[in-house]
Amino acid sequence: MISSIFWIVPVSALIALLFAWIFYRSMKVKEEGTERMKEIAAYVREGAMAYLRRQYSVVIKVFLILVVLLTILAYLGVQNPFVPIAFLTGGFFSGLCGYLGMRTATYASNRTAWAASKSLNSGLKVALRSGAVMGLVVVGFGLLDVALWFLLLNGLIFTPEHMEAGLKFLGLTFVHPGTTEHQKFIEITATMLTFGMGASTQALFARVGGGIFTKAADVGADLVGKVEAGIPEDDPRNPATIADNVGDNVGDVAGMGADLYESYAGSILATAALGAALPGLTTDMQIKSILAPMIVSAVGILLSIVGVYMVRAKESATAKNLLNALLLGTGGSSVLILVALALLAMAGWITWGVFGSVVAGLAAGVIIGQSTEYFTSDGYKPTKGIAKQAQQGPATVIIEGMAVGMLSTWVPVVTIVVGIVAAFGFAGGFTDFAKGVYGIGFAAVGMLSTLGITLATDAFGPIADNAGGNAEMSELPKEVRERTDALDALGNTTAATGKGFAIGSAALTALALMAAYMEEVKLWIGRLIDKSPEGFKQIGDTLFYNKVMPSVQEGQVAVNVTTATVKDFAAAYDLSLFNPILLGGVFVGAMMAFAFCAMSMKAVGRAAGRMVEEVRRQFREIPGIMEGKGKPDYARCVAISTAGAQREMMVPSLMAIIVPLVIGIIFGVPGVVGLLAGGMTAGFTLASMLNNAGGAWDNAKKFIEKGNYGGKKSEPHKAAVVGDTVGDPFKDTSGPSLNILIKLMSMVSVVMAGLTVALSIF
Amino acid sequence: MSKYVYLTCTPEALVASMLPPEGFGMYLSTGTKKRNKAQTIFFEVDLPQIEKLIDVESMNRRCVAKEDGSPKSSVYLSVYRVLEMIPLSALKNLYLTTDHGCVLELKKAVYDKSREKAGALHLYQELAPVTPHVASDLPPSAFLKRLTDGSQPITLPKLFFVELKLGELATNPLYGSAEHLPYPNIGHLRDCLEILRGEYEKHMKTVQRIFSGELLYRTIDTGFYVGAKDEIVHYPYPSMKDLEDMNYEFFRAI
Repeated sequence: MISSIFWIVPVSALIALLFAWIFYRSMKVKEEGTERMKEIAAYVREGAMAYLRRQYSVVIKVFLILVVLLTILAYLGVQNPFVPIAFLTGGFFSGLCGYLGMRTATYASNRTAWAASKSLNSGLKVALRSGAVMGLVVVGFGLLDVALWFLLLNGLIFTPEHMEAGLKFLGLTFVHPGTTEHQKFIEITATMLTFGMGASTQALFARVGGGIFTKAADVGADLVGKVEAGIPEDDPRNPATIADNVGDNVGDVAGMGADLYESYAGSILATAALGAALPGLTTDMQIKSILAPMIVSAVGILLSIVGVYMVRAKESATAKNLLNALLLGTGGSSVLILVALALLAMAGWITWGVFGSVVAGLAAGVIIGQSTEYFTSDGYKPTKGIAKQAQQGPATVIIEGMAVGMLSTWVPVVTIVVGIVAAFGFAGGFTDFAKGVYGIGFAAVGMLSTLGITLATDAFGPIADNAGGNAEMSELPKEVRERTDALDALGNTTAATGKGFAIGSAALTALALMAAYMEEVKLWIGRLIDKSPEGFKQIGDTLFYNKVMPSVQEGQVAVNVTTATVKDFAAAYDLSLFNPILLGGVFVGAMMAFAFCAMSMKAVGRAAGRMVEEVRRQFREIPGIMEGKGKPDYARCVAISTAGAQREMMVPSLMAIIVPLVIGIIFGVPGVVGLLAGGMTAGFTLASMLNNAGGAWDNAKKFIEKGNYGGKKSEPHKAAVVGDTVGDPFKDTSGPSLNILIKLMSMVSVVMAGLTVALSIF
Repeated sequence: MSKYVYLTCTPEALVASMLPPEGFGMYLSTGTKKRNKAQTIFFEVDLPQIEKLIDVESMNRRCVAKEDGSPKSSVYLSVYRVLEMIPLSALKNLYLTTDHGCVLELKKAVYDKSREKAGALHLYQELAPVTPHVASDLPPSAFLKRLTDGSQPITLPKLFFVELKLGELATNPLYGSAEHLPYPNIGHLRDCLEILRGEYEKHMKTVQRIFSGELLYRTIDTGFYVGAKDEIVHYPYPSMKDLEDMNYEFFRAI
């Protein structure tokens, strides 16, 4: 019997969606500004929607192919039969979040600019509450999907009758006969975990495609518009300027939203799966362990909404006041979630150890975010140092930027290491390994519990950026553009910390998924034993059995699979660094991070090349374009960038899906574990480096543009522009895409665990 | 439509136009089709004061609206030794343009010699009729006088120049911080300044013989100067804060 407190989960999800609707409506009724502002916003909106239509049409085809493959695997008995449907729902909700977030953001930009004509605070309110729509639909749909699957599986599929007699449908076994109450929840959580693969796959396409789109447009707009034609940023005569504005939404709203949707759902599901598998629990305690991450997330949603309302500033607020107001919202929500968790601990829903794990996760998120701010803001030494090196030329800018990026990895790495060990230790991992990894999962849940408001501040960035573009193109008065500039600067700060937060949460989620992978392996070994005539499965020198203990020879051990621990599997599969297969997997995983980055960077180069040609063509062929008499063909630039992004995203995206599958089939569980470990460690470090180096280069250029070292057009500025151009695909394409790569590889491994266990060559 | 006469400085030319200063600046920088981009510096000239110096009839005949009624952008009246020909009193305000065509107006002012800093070194970019980049221990009025009063073997009839920022190098050429000074080859600049400090008979040192054609507007210090001998006209350059308030477009563009 599920406790009534569970209902807080779907109710919170619905409340999140309700508030998203309220914020959306309150944004829609704001004044849209002048006719020119409306016209520009409409161009961006049309471009963004055209991009999404094209992207989704490609993603749907890929999804259909994968569903067919997953269904075939289910019929072969090496795949959970729910996966094809769960896969689709995860992808659908993720895509829906992207659509709603983009729609809101593109309606909000001109309204933000117009509100900024009244005061800075009015602009902030419109932009933040519009960003909150993205934050709340992500957490709302994420948790709703989790809750609906849980209700469906628990109430309709795993009924007492089905558990006793089994459930078959269309020739597939959905419930095995004789399933116990304890096994039921392991099966349910393992099944739910697979919907994360749909979210991951959709997120990968959103992140990679969005990253390629945004940089192709940006480079096209800058190289031809600013450098060759000599017209300023956001000049309406530039054919690529609308595509550039569309790109901000595509990359930072839809891409970031899909990324964090996947982390959010993945962390809850992985932690629930780890909770279900905790040994020695009564059914009641097992249910509590499963529901706890969902309930914490549900409380987090409510407190995120409170946080959005806590963001207030006076009408005369300065940019500094606004930043403090935003920090009050995000920090306030985090403090409140700790209070709520303490109450849950007192009520016995979570242990105080788990409470400690959540504190570790929240603290890690804050520290990583702040370190990102330190390494990328022009208020601190690292970025100022790059600007200073610009006096020597572009080579030293590149060297210094790379060094800053590499050095910047120490804080997130140390933080994650301390966070993992602390979460593991607080949850009792040093005496009970399973509890420890459950604690690590909870650290990710804790970090993401206030995602509603954290993502609101992330999505605020591109909205403010677009508002600035709209104000510029609409030639609004100086004071308005000063305010939109201030909002944009604030958005850059929140975007930088958001990137740190995204990679930190991705690392913790991937770690939780890796632990959940071992649970999935255990589940599949149990299923294979059921089908095996011998009644056991031999892995190395270990014979795993279900009911009857097999006779063992010298050097062999027999372990009951239902009580087997991760350490038993580690011993059976020889999951040690001295196993060359595992070590080989580590190398392949590390290589994957680099190869994936290289592919996405080269994709940006090719897509940008096509954009450059198009912008040049328009400047050449459209009469009166530079005089402002001829109208640029904005839609064509959007179409070119869209087509480029779709074409270029396929190979790196499919590589992320295929490699774990191939490694699993060839090298088995040790190869996969090595792959995930290598991918996660190299991917996390590389992503931190790329994000921070790119951000630091960007802000070093802006620091010079403020008048330092000669300002615009000086030699240091030219050198800094080189750094910024190199850094663009670092921070906006490859770096953020790595978040998804490490999660998707884990998720594919989890979903394909049955295939790996059953068919691996080694 | 009114007629305007402008003295463009890089290169020197006297140009009649039907465009007011902002429009003329935009035209000079970006061209009719807006496909060009170039920084320009020009004075507006008081036409009545120079009527005796130019062929007014020819100008009136050529500087007329186009067939479609749009104003004539430019009619060149003279392109050689123009600055020396125009009396200082005829020079009105000075205009700077960015290569995007943003225009900044600098008001003509009476030069206040009492504000000259004693003992400091200076860096000047000469703009017309010659264009070397010169370091000097002379303040603007003395620098102008020395180059135009005929006391030196090489002399100029009139000079238009701008004072550029030197920061700490103005008082400490060898060890002063050169941060935020975006000049190429700072080492050479330090050497030039040090020579001036060491040799009492030397008051000027050429840092660079050839002007790149582009001024970094953020490096302008006290402003622009034009004159000859003891006659000096000053066009003060605003601080960045004042510039942001007085011309936001220009401020953002530089």
